[in-house]
Amino acid sequence: MGPLIPLGQISSGWDFIIALIIGIAFGFILEASGFSSSRNITGVFYGYNFVVLRFFFTAVIVAMIGLEYFDYMGWIDLNMIYILPTYLSPMIVGAIIMGVGFIIGGFCPGTSYTAIAIGKLDAIVFTLGLFLGIFIFSEIFPYIEDFYYSGNMGNITISEVLGISNKLFTFIFVIIAVIAFYVTWLIEKKVRKTINPYKFE
Amino acid sequence: MNKNYFILFGLLIVLSGGLLFLPEKTNYVQQSPESLMWDIVQPTRYISTDQVAKLIIEKDPLFQLVDVRPDYDFEAFSLPNSFNIPIDSILTDEANDIFNIEDVNTIFLSDDDIKADQAWVIAKRMGYKSVYVMKGGLNCWIRTIIQPQKPSESAPITEFELYNFRKGASIYFTGAELSTNSDIKQEVSITRKKKETVAEGGC
Amino acid sequence: MHVHEINPKKTLITLTIFVIVIIVGLLTITNPRLEYKLTPNETVELVVWDDSYVFPYELEDVIVGAVDTVILIDIRNTFDFSRGHIPGAENISAVELLSEDNIKRLKKLQKEGICVLIYGETQLQANGPWMVFRQLGFSNVKSLMGGYQYYALWKDNLADSYGDDGYLLGAADFDYSDIASNVNIDENEGDSEKTSITVNRRKKSTVAEGGC
Repeated sequence: MGPLIPLGQISSGWDFIIALIIGIAFGFILEASGFSSSRNITGVFYGYNFVVLRFFFTAVIVAMIGLEYFDYMGWIDLNMIYILPTYLSPMIVGAIIMGVGFIIGGFCPGTSYTAIAIGKLDAIVFTLGLFLGIFIFSEIFPYIEDFYYSGNMGNITISEVLGISNKLFTFIFVIIAVIAFYVTWLIEKKVRKTINPYKFE
Repeated sequence: MNKNYFILFGLLIVLSGGLLFLPEKTNYVQQSPESLMWDIVQPTRYISTDQVAKLIIEKDPLFQLVDVRPDYDFEAFSLPNSFNIPIDSILTDEANDIFNIEDVNTIFLSDDDIKADQAWVIAKRMGYKSVYVMKGGLNCWIRTIIQPQKPSESAPITEFELYNFRKGASIYFTGAELSTNSDIKQEVSITRKKKETVAEGGC
Repeated sequence: MHVHEINPKKTLITLTIFVIVIIVGLLTITNPRLEYKLTPNETVELVVWDDSYVFPYELEDVIVGAVDTVILIDIRNTFDFSRGHIPGAENISAVELLSEDNIKRLKKLQKEGICVLIYGETQLQANGPWMVFRQLGFSNVKSLMGGYQYYALWKDNLADSYGDDGYLLGAADFDYSDIASNVNIDENEGDSEKTSITVNRRKKSTVAEGGC
């Protein structure tokens, strides 16, 4: 049945429309989860709020479990999914830079736009800086091109590197996520004097 | 911590644990037995030796010949421009590359048509489209193309035309001298490559 | 006020939907009616090493009724069947043979250890159907060497065909390279002397052995 475009179920002209719909949903969920507030985001660093970590872990494990089941049920063919190539050392460096920017700025690229949407001034400044950074990067790109393309590992997945099946890796990852949920909750309880958990039945 | 969170944790672990019990799925698309059987009962997959001879002589780029005999047989004799994929290596990546060339029809051939037909059934099951079988195989090739039988005097004109074509083809494929009977119309235009002189050189 | 507090049941509702989708998906997986029991690689092995042919001379025991563990199935069309067929054969086309009832019957025959011998006009005609049934796991389905044509040729003295090998397929009748290199067109007869084929002929089974 899927993926829809590579299998020719729908024409490739639909990809922008699908991207638009998914983008609206993504922005809505980010805002609804409170990610427009830089307090929530930097809270991971200061140890009083791990909602970002839990949010993304939840999204990842639900998607993983869902895709594995859908693959089994024949709704989507995971072998046809495009996997971005892995450039190991540039990715590590890039992740460090992004992490530093995350804590200093209080936004990630996606959440800065949702914050603009609700009219935050710091988010506007953050986005201007973002474009400035992109401009500087493209100007110095020729000098770092070799590093940028170094360490190409091809289109690999973690389960391929570890030599285990996708399903086993999903299971292991869910266990890790659940442990992370519990540990972050313990840390939050210790750091915050008055913990006021969401009411949820 | 709200105890409902533990219910959610448990649910996710059970769901992901359930994945481990799912049986392995084959990751290639196969033709179902029913539609495979429908294809088998149609005789459309057979291509006569005369057609194959024509395709080779005309150097038709839309067809490729795949010889499924063992490699030592293939080395002893093979049709011009044919690939050798012994039937036991029909599922290898190299074979896959050959079958998967777009818009090119594959014709299987072997000593007779049984092995080629079996190769065809396997290829069809694996979902390859546009695969064919050379009817009669190389035995038939020798009988019809290389050693054509002269039709009887009372045979219809088409038989004679076919015979003349086969004779021409025989000359093409064997390089035999023709001790001409003047009334032979040659239908086949033979474009044999000129022997290159050294001066011409490569490209 | 957090979004959760507007509707505290939101998380549970979402997760319930997720679980229901997966359960519905698992329940509605349509299992194909027929599934290949042999992997493609096993199929290749089958056709390279197969020995599940029945030799024409073995038919004699079946026809006279000495062996009752063999069922003959004629996959030719009804017209050809009505013009002549091997005694005791049933006329079922290859596609029909895949129908629910016939698959059930084949399964039952397989359990009872009864051999199903399919034949067509030539061996080639029965080859495809034979391969399909073998791939579906019916190891009791066999194919008649030489097909009906060969049987019709020898039907009066079938046992004598033991000494003949005209039904053998899959072997070269000619030394191709030899012929292809020196052909004299005018010799139309074309001395098509057969190169001696080494036949690993199965020993003629005694009546008592029978079956598959």
